[in-house]
Amino acid sequence: MAATSIHKFAQCITCHAWSPDLSMIALCPNNSEVHIYKLSEDKWEKVHVLQRHDQIVSGIDWSSRSNKIVTVSHDRNSYVWNQEASGWVPTLVILRLNRAALCVQWSPKENKFAVGSGAKTVCICYYEQENNWWVSKLIRKRHDSSVTSIAWHPNNILLATTSTDGKCRVFSTFIKGVDAKDSAMGNSADTKFGEQIVQLDLCFCWAFGVRWSPSGNTLSYVGHNSMIYFVDEVGPSAAAQSVAIRDLPLRDVSFLSERMVVGVGFDCNPMVFVADESGLWSFLRFLDERKAASSSAKYGSQFSEAFGKFYGQSKYSANNNVEQSRGAHDNCINCVLPLAKQRKSSVTRFSTSGLDGKVVIWDLQKQEDLLEYL
Amino acid sequence: MANSLRLYLTCIRNTLEAAMCLQNFPCQEVERHNKPEVELKTSPELLLNPVLICRNEAERCLIETSINSLRISLKVKQSDELENILTKKFLRFLSMRAEAFQVLRRKPVQGYDISFLITNYHCEEMQKQKLIDFIVQFMEDIDKEISELKLSVNTRGRLVATEFLKQFI
Repeated sequence: MAATSIHKFAQCITCHAWSPDLSMIALCPNNSEVHIYKLSEDKWEKVHVLQRHDQIVSGIDWSSRSNKIVTVSHDRNSYVWNQEASGWVPTLVILRLNRAALCVQWSPKENKFAVGSGAKTVCICYYEQENNWWVSKLIRKRHDSSVTSIAWHPNNILLATTSTDGKCRVFSTFIKGVDAKDSAMGNSADTKFGEQIVQLDLCFCWAFGVRWSPSGNTLSYVGHNSMIYFVDEVGPSAAAQSVAIRDLPLRDVSFLSERMVVGVGFDCNPMVFVADESGLWSFLRFLDERKAASSSAKYGSQFSEAFGKFYGQSKYSANNNVEQSRGAHDNCINCVLPLAKQRKSSVTRFSTSGLDGKVVIWDLQKQEDLLEYL
Repeated sequence: MANSLRLYLTCIRNTLEAAMCLQNFPCQEVERHNKPEVELKTSPELLLNPVLICRNEAERCLIETSINSLRISLKVKQSDELENILTKKFLRFLSMRAEAFQVLRRKPVQGYDISFLITNYHCEEMQKQKLIDFIVQFMEDIDKEISELKLSVNTRGRLVATEFLKQFI
């Protein structure tokens, strides 16, 4: 099995994040709290509960160098949590939002973070030393609907967003005084804050789960029409590929290497997409092995008819359920994160969490057919 | 079970399986609200195309989907007036006890006999497969229930008539 550890933390998990050394996990059990668990002697122990939000927490990110946690919630607020002797101390971030915040991510240099919101805006927050607080700058009037996911380019300037209007956009987030001119690569340093670099209009349905590849050359996002999109050379001459899948739509993606992407979603089973030598992306296989038997029985109507004739409808459906509930996850997976202590070009381990309340750690070390793509 | 009914139910089951991909989604229009978008219909981009599945003119099923909710409306077969009144009374009886069923809507959508409303919260608490099984089972049983009720009304009518007419012999 590719799943190396399965642990049920709660009834339902909306999102999770790992500490820099991967010994602790922060997760939201589908309410206004954030629970932090620590692994000690093969057992997960609840060490902290962060209570400050008053609606469901929709996004958590744990910075790998400065050891800060940022959380956003449907109550329109965001907090940055600092670890001190007594525990985690929150700092309120004035987002200036009037709708729910939906997702959050630290920039690679960890001097900024971005928040996507239901107010059709993106906030870029940075720390202001003289006032001792986090300031937010808004990118307005670009999105026609809620911003569902955001991703930072490794150069710390470009930000990709997906929205429920089906578009994926890339913005420059250059802030004077925070970003040095030389830190930006190539021509992205010339652009002003909030300038739209490119707008990708590939999907005719809602778009979710955007990510950059480790080098920042490829951008990937998913659509609710069971499609996954790969965009090379983001800019005026972007080259896009779309791969249709025959199963239920995906919710989130993650790059494991330049040539391998794992997608998770409503099928409760991670899917692996790979690129061949020429850079052509295709669906390779599911990671969890359980599907083969149940899917053939589920999709073939002749099958179900034959089953129904011999056993009666109720028995057939009961039969189906048993097969469905086997496997690592048994409800929609909505979050996938690569597991690596530093930013590396390829990782073999990643974790997923879903509405069934489980966090599953997957290891591809023993999957020989996948290792060549790492 | 008749073959056409099985095809009808299989079609509904497959459609529901594809449509029931719901997620938590806060309202874009009203601050701090989180309501089923399929009921409010405030943002057209959050709605998907509705699917209408018909077995014949009298029996049909409308499935409307949005980002965080799903509405299923059923029209039950009513071939005569007696079936019409039985269906109306029986489904009214169920709708009045809607909270016991959780996913049942108190009022059917216009033009339909009974409606279900499934939100992302139901999908979090319950297994998706069981929810679909419940809807399909319900559709199967409702026809049986109505024809049984019709039979018993007819039998009782005949008995009463026989008893009443005995006095004239």
